[in-house]
Amino acid sequence: MNDRRRLPLIILFLLPSVLVFVLYRWLPVIWNLFLSFQKWKPIGANEWVGASNYVTMFADPVFWESLQNTLVYFFVGTPVAIILALILALFVNEPIPGRNAYRTIIFLPYPITPVAIGLIWKWLLNDRVGFVNYVLRSVGLIDEGIPFLQSFDFALFSVIGTTIWQVLGYFMILVLAGLQTVPTELRDAALIDGAGPLRRTWSITLPLIRSTLFLCFIIGIINSFTVFDMVYVMTGGGPGHATEFLVTYIYRNAFEFNRLGYSAAMTVVMFLVLLTVTLVSNRFSGGEAGGARHYE
Amino acid sequence: MQLLLLAVAVMILLPLYWVLKTSLTGENLFNYPPSLVPRDMHVFYFVDVFYWIPFARFALNSVIVSVIVVVTNILFNSMAAMALTYEFNFKPLVIGLYLSSMMIPFQTAIIPAFLLTRELGLLNSHVGLALPLMSTIVNIFVFKSSFDAIPRSIIDSARIDGVSEWRLLDTIYLRLSSPAIATNVILAFVWSWNNFIWPLIIVRDEAMQTLPLALSRFLSYFEDTSGQLYAFVVLVAIPVIAIFLLNQKRFISGILAGAMKG
Repeated sequence: MNDRRRLPLIILFLLPSVLVFVLYRWLPVIWNLFLSFQKWKPIGANEWVGASNYVTMFADPVFWESLQNTLVYFFVGTPVAIILALILALFVNEPIPGRNAYRTIIFLPYPITPVAIGLIWKWLLNDRVGFVNYVLRSVGLIDEGIPFLQSFDFALFSVIGTTIWQVLGYFMILVLAGLQTVPTELRDAALIDGAGPLRRTWSITLPLIRSTLFLCFIIGIINSFTVFDMVYVMTGGGPGHATEFLVTYIYRNAFEFNRLGYSAAMTVVMFLVLLTVTLVSNRFSGGEAGGARHYE
Repeated sequence: MQLLLLAVAVMILLPLYWVLKTSLTGENLFNYPPSLVPRDMHVFYFVDVFYWIPFARFALNSVIVSVIVVVTNILFNSMAAMALTYEFNFKPLVIGLYLSSMMIPFQTAIIPAFLLTRELGLLNSHVGLALPLMSTIVNIFVFKSSFDAIPRSIIDSARIDGVSEWRLLDTIYLRLSSPAIATNVILAFVWSWNNFIWPLIIVRDEAMQTLPLALSRFLSYFEDTSGQLYAFVVLVAIPVIAIFLLNQKRFISGILAGAMKG
């Protein structure tokens, strides 16, 4: 069918959505690149400053700390979340009583407003009135409440733990969807051959859901590079910069210190790191993970 | 196995229950040790939220923005999906643009997005708040797979009857895609309702705050352990929890379609 005469109509139909993505996704990538070589002025034209934003960045210990925290989230938080989600998915995939209820409950935090979840956990982790400290004290693990979010030792992992609490069910549902593609005959055949449950999982199920696991991994990469809402309400990046992540530091420089050029330079670096990590892991997976979905 | 699942379920439900209980009793803020069962329930804290801040105004902002986002999502996404049912030269380019946009998280676009919206004069406006979410890739592809499933013969015979392409979108494509519309509504609403970083950046006028933004600033009015805060948390979370629980299957199949796409 020749649709050429409908071209004006096609363009008209595509225009609104294409505009949204060009203006709010693609244009910013290029705009950031220009801005990163400028000093931003609230009024009047920006001043070209060469690579000085990048020089400042590489000498800025807080930038390195926020990059490090982002990578800790990625290398520690993401695998923990995926492994937990995998275990849970394997369990609720079995015909056990109440498995639908478990699925619903574990997924329940995912749609809830992240700001609300951040506030809930900020309070649960409080050293005086927090429920977590109450439980720890009751079972005799500690004598004094731990101020988790004010502590240099615990703050980072408390924040990462909270994000895992929210996203766990989402990963579980993804893995569960992958598990539905595993033919039952294969597992049954292995069962007859006398393979135990661990062996069946390891040698049959896991290889068959490899692409799903890589998909989770890619989504985990994006999540770890974009974490913001919860950090903002739970710790604001503190204590010191112990929970400073790339986006929180970018936000703060741009919108609290008016250093938009500097923030743009950090965004460019962040985008490049994100892209590299994604492409490398996609290469490792043999391109199986395909694309990934962002929160919006 | 059951034991671990039970433990995880408790770890997820207990915090939510704790918030709900505290918002109704204020109990464990003052009592130590806290009790599991609520006593002397009252709605005082909920009333107080309305008393202390213009809650209705903030809720209205959130509702207006979400309605704009939902309506534009249905319209723009279905138009885009219908365009993709045609054959044309630059179709791969358009699909490439959509898919690659998924790899550009909005968080990496905040600075230019702010400058652009300022140029457009849309800071502190409902339209400005809705703009970046007016079309979403996942939802375009939800429509696309629904449209692709409609038999060509129906479309062709409608065309022979002289139905215009605009009417075709309305009377055939959308009419036969109510599950896809529902998915669009649910996902667009939840994303818009929960959105935080964008209102945080472009709202400078206190009266234009959306609920998550007002929630994050509520702490400046109160001590961080007040029953009012948790009543507020409950009020913000209830719509999205309700929407999820009422449309569980659709919500999950929608986000799965989004994740698998590409």
